[in-house]
Amino acid sequence: MNNSIKRNIFRSARLTSLYIVVAGIALIIIFPLFFLFSFSFMSDYETYSEWPKPLVPSVKAEFMIDKDSEGYHLYIYNKSKKDFAGFGPISFNNSETDLTKLSKYIKIQANCKISIEDINSYLSIVDRDGEIRFSARKDLFANYILFFQVTRDAGPSVLRSLMVALFTILISLSIGGMAGYAFARYFFKGKNILKIGVLFVRMFPAVSIAIPMVIILAKMGLTDKPLGLSLVYAVGQISMSIWVTASVFMSIPVSLEEAALIFGTNRIGAFWHITLPLALPGLAACAMYAFIGSWNEVISAIVLTQFNPTFPVVVYKALIRSQSQVNLITAGSITQALPAIIFTLIIRKYILQMWGGVKV
Amino acid sequence: MAVTLELSNIAKRYSKKVWGVKKMDLQVKNKEFIVLLGPSGCGKTTTMRMVAGLEEVTRGTILLDGKDITDKAPRDRGISMVFQNYAIWPHMTVFDNIAFSLKLQKIPKKEIRLRVEDTAQMVKIQELLERLPGQLSGGQQQRVALARALVVKPKLFLMDEPLSNLDAKLRVIMRTELKAIHLKTGATSIFVTHDQSEAMSMADRIVIMKDGEIVQIGTPDDVYFRSASVFVAGFIGTPPANFFNVHCHIDGKDITLTNENFNLSISRERFENLADYEGKNIILGIRPEDIEIVEESEALFSNEIMVIEPQGSHQVVALNVSDNIVKMIVPAETKLQYNDTLFLNFKMNRLHLFDSDTELRIN
Repeated sequence: MNNSIKRNIFRSARLTSLYIVVAGIALIIIFPLFFLFSFSFMSDYETYSEWPKPLVPSVKAEFMIDKDSEGYHLYIYNKSKKDFAGFGPISFNNSETDLTKLSKYIKIQANCKISIEDINSYLSIVDRDGEIRFSARKDLFANYILFFQVTRDAGPSVLRSLMVALFTILISLSIGGMAGYAFARYFFKGKNILKIGVLFVRMFPAVSIAIPMVIILAKMGLTDKPLGLSLVYAVGQISMSIWVTASVFMSIPVSLEEAALIFGTNRIGAFWHITLPLALPGLAACAMYAFIGSWNEVISAIVLTQFNPTFPVVVYKALIRSQSQVNLITAGSITQALPAIIFTLIIRKYILQMWGGVKV
Repeated sequence: MAVTLELSNIAKRYSKKVWGVKKMDLQVKNKEFIVLLGPSGCGKTTTMRMVAGLEEVTRGTILLDGKDITDKAPRDRGISMVFQNYAIWPHMTVFDNIAFSLKLQKIPKKEIRLRVEDTAQMVKIQELLERLPGQLSGGQQQRVALARALVVKPKLFLMDEPLSNLDAKLRVIMRTELKAIHLKTGATSIFVTHDQSEAMSMADRIVIMKDGEIVQIGTPDDVYFRSASVFVAGFIGTPPANFFNVHCHIDGKDITLTNENFNLSISRERFENLADYEGKNIILGIRPEDIEIVEESEALFSNEIMVIEPQGSHQVVALNVSDNIVKMIVPAETKLQYNDTLFLNFKMNRLHLFDSDTELRIN
């Protein structure tokens, strides 16, 4: 009896410590991502004037205006100091120019929209009562909007990136899929050498073959074009697709196709009705790899684009150019991460089927 | 009866030295149930796949109902097939699996449903039509494969070791059902198996193959009682026939077969073909149930029991006859004990005699 309790305690202690370790590892991985995400919603004031940084961005900002002999003073509530702190110009009067400046300043620094009329009405209350406290709703997506406004070419570059990803998927999946099918179904001389051979293209870092790549693409007239870039990506992705699809097709018994041949269809029909639906999870996984690979790729894209950069290049350039605007960069980064996440979620079902062990 | 399928001189060569089938001539009559039987690698499955059109024919022609189908696509041959691993399409429901070929033929939906349900009834899966194959047991999957093959009403029905993936009990049940279905539909069938008891129990005629060639074609009785070669006699039967190397001595009207254990005298009238074998060695085959326990005075030879294997309905007794294990079948009622000495004789009308060089049957 006593023994079994001891054993139970030991077991639960072991389990608990395991969970603590796992949770710790998860935290180490997730926390920076979470912070990146959180930063992308913070205003400049939150980003640079509050320390320690708040874990979650605020949804509104609180302001205070008071008045003395020099004029009006604006304060903002600083959450880390838990007090109001001076914000904007040392003092201002109710002239049109001062108020316009102030409204702009609030918009840029605190991401709040307060119109001149509102400020005027607040000022009249200050005149009467001596001070006023008011809060304004923060525009959460201001950083995202601003990023696309200030970063030249960000909008079109997203479209270009999507095009590149789409072309990459199409090229790598069609060629790689066909090759994979051949590797899985037919026997020919030098099959294994060829299969390993296709991996060679993945062994060279993009930078080392950048110059020949540029020259070849230039001769094809495809430099600085989405199609050219996707060709470069597809070269690497095809070998990946070949290996994944070959193993997928190998796992589908030939007799399923043969049965289709006997029961009234030809080879193409058998592939279409039987093999393709069964291989879909694997093909989806391939598509995902191709998408993420091409969507996130920077190095080749920097070398091979000039006036038509892809989105990661735009984010990268914004990152190295700006000395201060961290919250804008995070907004760009999150924008870049989002499509890959969404795409993965959409085809998650198929991936689970593939690595969750679907029985054929 | 009209000939349905005719294989003439067909052969399959995989590479320079590897032959799948060396030479094969076979005529299958209408409504006949033919079993291709042989050890693995004998070419029986290759033969079936050539008939199905899944394997190219290296030489020879295949005629079905008088039409040459040697180079036709599988779907144009008017055949259907049950695969060894069932080959049920896992992403389709049972109904879709069975209806696949009918849908491709653009048959009206109502008729498809009717035919599928009829066939499902016949193989007893009518409740499973909306399920996916993954939810079925092996036996049920087998029935789906069977229904899918039956629903097209083929001229020729091919079955490639369809029962080998089932457990032993289910195999025996399905064997009976398959035969009943065959009797009901009357579809001309070719059945491939390596299980001789399956072949014996189902076949109208058995085609025994070895190394890509036919060794014997005949009814179950033919191959059992008149085995064409040592190979056939040793392949058919549980346990298979026992063999003795004997010396043939012909003296006038008497023929004596001798070896170190016994001298067997047989009358010349029954074994006229033996005339040429005077002074030569031949092989004597005897089936386990044709060895009898007799009185000491009538015994041909005696031996101690090595092992007794009770089977319920009968018992199999193994004897060690000069380092040669001989098995015999004894009725269950006979009380035997390990190390008992048995006095034995052969049933004279059940002797199988084979040439020791060619291993072919003499009598």
